[in-house]
Amino acid sequence: MSDVAVQVDHVTKSFRMYHERNQSLKSAIMRGRTSVHEDFLALKDVSFDVPSGSTFGLIGSNGSGKSTLLKCLANIYYPNQGSITHHGRIAAMLEVGSGFHQELSGRENIFLNGSILGMSRKEVTRKFDEIVDFSGVEQFIDQPVKNYSSGMYVRLGFAIAINVDPDILIVDEVLAVGDAQFQEKCFRKFSDFKADGKTVILVSHSMGTVESMCDHAAWLDRGTLRVVGESKSTIAAYLQSLPADKQ
Amino acid sequence: MKYLQEVWGSRELLFNLTSREVRGKYKRTIFGQLWSLANPLALMLVYTLVFGLLFRIKPLAGDPSGLDVFALWLLCGLLPWTFFANVISTGSGSLVENANLIQKVSFSRVVLPLSSVGSSAYNWAFEMAVLLIAISIAGGFVLPWIPLIIVAMLLLAVFASGVGLMLSISNVYFRDTQYLLSILLQFWMYLCPIIYPLTLVATQSKKTGGIAGTPITVMNIYELNPMVHFITLFRQLIYDNRWPDGVEWIICLCWALAALAVGLFVFQRNERNLAEAL
Repeated sequence: MSDVAVQVDHVTKSFRMYHERNQSLKSAIMRGRTSVHEDFLALKDVSFDVPSGSTFGLIGSNGSGKSTLLKCLANIYYPNQGSITHHGRIAAMLEVGSGFHQELSGRENIFLNGSILGMSRKEVTRKFDEIVDFSGVEQFIDQPVKNYSSGMYVRLGFAIAINVDPDILIVDEVLAVGDAQFQEKCFRKFSDFKADGKTVILVSHSMGTVESMCDHAAWLDRGTLRVVGESKSTIAAYLQSLPADKQ
Repeated sequence: MKYLQEVWGSRELLFNLTSREVRGKYKRTIFGQLWSLANPLALMLVYTLVFGLLFRIKPLAGDPSGLDVFALWLLCGLLPWTFFANVISTGSGSLVENANLIQKVSFSRVVLPLSSVGSSAYNWAFEMAVLLIAISIAGGFVLPWIPLIIVAMLLLAVFASGVGLMLSISNVYFRDTQYLLSILLQFWMYLCPIIYPLTLVATQSKKTGGIAGTPITVMNIYELNPMVHFITLFRQLIYDNRWPDGVEWIICLCWALAALAVGLFVFQRNERNLAEAL
């Protein structure tokens, strides 16, 4: 295990903004092109290293490119330039419970979702009790998930994702789910993670969360990296840039 | 090669997604899996009434099986066709339907269209088993041919996968694909010897001779349709209980491999852009 978990090297990501999006054959043939677009730079030449074993926070205002960067880290988007190198198994929790089948039971969905997230059947079987226990839906595990309350749904999704047991865990603003008791459970799980020497990368708008959980942070502003380093100083720099009434 | 390894590595996910579709499909129905038989049976009934009884289409009796039942003869061609049509119509929509998953989770995307092959194949195997039992009751001696029938089924599944992979990508960029496809499939079906025997085309073709003075006959063009060869294969194995021509096997194998190679190539080139394009 090297001491850098993720290396982000001069990453640039642009999206096409379509002025006219013609996704039909007719327009493609009639005009000989499918669309008129211009490129929008969501990330501009971003580079930083995430030390392994750290909890790393990404902060910034809305539209600053945090989620794009997260998706690049999670191999959902691919950067146009630059590269991202991972050292270790990576798991991303960008949305909990994606891929649940409404008509199938909680039990069946654990196996399905586990395998979508990259766990083998054996692994899921081994961790099954832990997942059910963590989610707190024992009583309803054989019910179709469409009958779950939204809290149960999210808790089950979260329980599966967190049990993937990656070396690097990527978390988008999903901690704001469940009741206080469940959140407490999640935070404890994250600190266990950290104690095991694993890396967590998370996005949050709650500076309190970032400050208490993260030891490192990066501040993105409209696609450019402004500050990276110790979480305290990064947060301070970020807060200072905001207009006074928002602080 | 590396790509194939990746696909192979996600076989467990493929299995799980397939079983999600199979199990989720007939949940909360009284007849469950029996519903998958309803559609082919209804088609069989309609076509037998219209073409067997009204139009009096008389296919040659099975040689050497001696079978002479229009409904069974029809099903030998109809079941492979409905499987193929199912795969490419559900397969082409598979990426768009799972857009949410693609945008949130990183996994080998190729399992999505392939899982619609899997779930259609599951139903098809069920239908074929019923057909083989019916043929045995009617007096066909189909048992020794089962291994070859399975090989033919695999070939068709490979061919359908290749076409499905291509169309699933095309549907991401051109949503017209799925609508165009449903019309195209109707034409395509009548361009296959499903409800009429191949001999009918051969006779007509001989009568007409070469088209516009060229030595190319109607039959030559007709045989460009890969499904003609697949259906011939199935009919000879199941209905006639006869070893099909080696050339037919080779043609089917070539089509299957070519479709899969092109399908995987197209898919692999576009896979990375899917999350953005959707």
